[in-house]
Amino acid sequence: MRDDHFSVQRSGFSRRGLLLGGMAAGVYAGLRPRDAMAQLRIPDITSGNVQPIPVAIPDFLAGSPNEGDVPRNISGIITNNLRRSGLFIPIDQQAFIEKIANFDNNPRFPDWRQINAQGLVTGRVTRQQDGRLKVEFRLWDVFGGTQLHGQQFFTTPDYWRRIAHIISDAIYERLTGEKGYFDSRVVFVDETGNKAQRIKRLALMDQDGANVRYLTRGQDLVLTPRFSPATQEITYMSYGQGDPRVYILNTETGQREIVGNFPGMTFAPRFSPDGQRVVMSLQQGSNANIFVMDLRSKATTRLTDTPAIDTSPSFSPDGARICFESDRGGKPQIYVMAATGGPAQRITFGEGTFSTPVWSPRGDAIAFTKQGGGKFAIGVIKPDGSGERILTEGFHNEGPTFAPNGRVLMFFRDPGGEGGPSLYSIDLTGRNEQRVQTPSYASDPAWSPLLV
Amino acid sequence: MIKSSVTISTLGHAILLAWGLVSFSAKPFDSATAESLPVDVISSSEFSQMTAGVKTAPMAEAPKPLVEKVAPHPKPVKDTTAKISEKPEIEAAKADAPPPAPQVKPQPEQKPPEEKKPDEIAEALKTEVVKPPPAPKKPPPPKLDMSKIENKLALLDKREQRRSAAIGETLNATPTLGAATGQSATLSQNEIDALRGRLRDCWDVPVGVADARDLFVVVRIQFKRGGDLDNEPIITNRLSHPAFQVAAESVLRAVRKCAPYTFMPAAKYDVWKDIEVKFDPREMFRG
Repeated sequence: MRDDHFSVQRSGFSRRGLLLGGMAAGVYAGLRPRDAMAQLRIPDITSGNVQPIPVAIPDFLAGSPNEGDVPRNISGIITNNLRRSGLFIPIDQQAFIEKIANFDNNPRFPDWRQINAQGLVTGRVTRQQDGRLKVEFRLWDVFGGTQLHGQQFFTTPDYWRRIAHIISDAIYERLTGEKGYFDSRVVFVDETGNKAQRIKRLALMDQDGANVRYLTRGQDLVLTPRFSPATQEITYMSYGQGDPRVYILNTETGQREIVGNFPGMTFAPRFSPDGQRVVMSLQQGSNANIFVMDLRSKATTRLTDTPAIDTSPSFSPDGARICFESDRGGKPQIYVMAATGGPAQRITFGEGTFSTPVWSPRGDAIAFTKQGGGKFAIGVIKPDGSGERILTEGFHNEGPTFAPNGRVLMFFRDPGGEGGPSLYSIDLTGRNEQRVQTPSYASDPAWSPLLV
Repeated sequence: MIKSSVTISTLGHAILLAWGLVSFSAKPFDSATAESLPVDVISSSEFSQMTAGVKTAPMAEAPKPLVEKVAPHPKPVKDTTAKISEKPEIEAAKADAPPPAPQVKPQPEQKPPEEKKPDEIAEALKTEVVKPPPAPKKPPPPKLDMSKIENKLALLDKREQRRSAAIGETLNATPTLGAATGQSATLSQNEIDALRGRLRDCWDVPVGVADARDLFVVVRIQFKRGGDLDNEPIITNRLSHPAFQVAAESVLRAVRKCAPYTFMPAAKYDVWKDIEVKFDPREMFRG
């Protein structure tokens, strides 16, 4: 009897096991054959188009009647940002079929498919009781009929421009898979007066040329401003009465201090990626060497020791290496060495001279100015010395600086003659060159990191 | 003297020939197998027969969905409920209980320990070797004497019914593109290229995807008969790459934007109704 009981139990157990197994097999059978049975695998698609993405950006809606021009201005800035990047084509508002009337409803996707928009940006601006501005936006995938992104911001009304840049960055990142660069600023040297007596002032503006403000008054000559990659600080070279000196300026507080106290001229400063050190050139007699100074301890380390002019040092984004310009081989060329100094490897060998190297924030390229044949070109090269490419060439192009995402460069161009230099941006393909509007002549641009 | 030289000569030649047979056997040249381009030659009458409709035919209500496979006559299935065994168990003819293993006789070396030789290890090793018991003698196989069997039912195989798992209706259900020896109905290279070209033209690769390495998207596309999408395309892989989502969306956009795929050959619908394709921008890396 007891035996029977046990056997029953055991068989029950095994039945459960069978059931489980059967279930597993059923699940497997339910999934497997569909996948395996009739599926045809065709060879990989290994390339596609890189062409601007058509996006539709209707004017943002006003949440209440007294918003004024702000809603339209915000969508205008977004449109302008995306167009300037070269990666998007904002579709002309005249072509729109649907008029977005309600921010909370789904748009009629077929209407937008009709005009071939791939992305659609809708938004609404509402002034709150407390005087703040609420800005909402949605990014729609027109072909998928889904919302890709949506955010809302609260801000003081003065900051509507930044909100527009932040929204542009969000759209850029969501559609390209890369960080944007619109919410950033550019410091440059503003030049006024005639050619013999230029007044040079440090100026700061949004990357699209808006909101220009001046950081120095113009008594002293300023050169080579550089943004800290980590803080809102600028280092630059300035000289009035005495020797040229390297300064650090805090753009928020306006505080200014001299970097180090060296016997000779210091120039070509640049921050390390963490913003804690400044690397620069120090002239000693007829040659110049590269030094790095810790901003907190003021400890200075010599990195090169040659009878040549070593200048324009720039850290790699990981802080492990430094690229710089040196004429130790006869003509100025670009070299790469460890951030602690030591032997340097020459990476440029072409005709002409190479100068003002700057390492991309992505780490995969070094931009330079190349001079030869009576022309100045802006180009990029890989840090190992391969893949040199010229992006633009002309009478005088100089001083490249990378946007925070490393896809766009800004530089200055001097057409010669009586005129003065102005700022231009170009993307890494070299195809999308744009003039950057400045109040007067401008040179030596330097891009800030994203403001965050 | 001559005989021996003849022998040596013969032997030498034989060895040379044998060596030649082995070493001169040419290795076939490995050529890259290209996918075949099927070319059919048909007469104009055949062609018109294929394309002509019948005017008197009744109006079709709606095209019936195709079955996956047309079976000429369903094969009788022996017993689907039977247990599946990997292999039928093989039962050896049972012998009678083997004779008891002969007991190891007490060895004569069992002597008082002091008499042991100094080489104790060697001795110990020796004693451990136990001779295997002699194999049990097999009794002669029992002769089958039908007359002695009273109940003929006893002859029936009473084991449970089994079928072997290795045997199935078809060997491989996955259709192939038929690499070099493609025998099944396949899309021709041209047809595949037409589809790939269309997808490639529709794919706007986001810059962050074009520059990324090791980023690819596999998508499964199911078609309706006319070339429309039957279902929403499905991404079947998943990578932790930060730009993967953007890449996947760009692929879905491409597949949707390109629809309908009217150029696909209707006659081979079964082959292309469900395809999987990998979008990998590996040829787009910036120089």
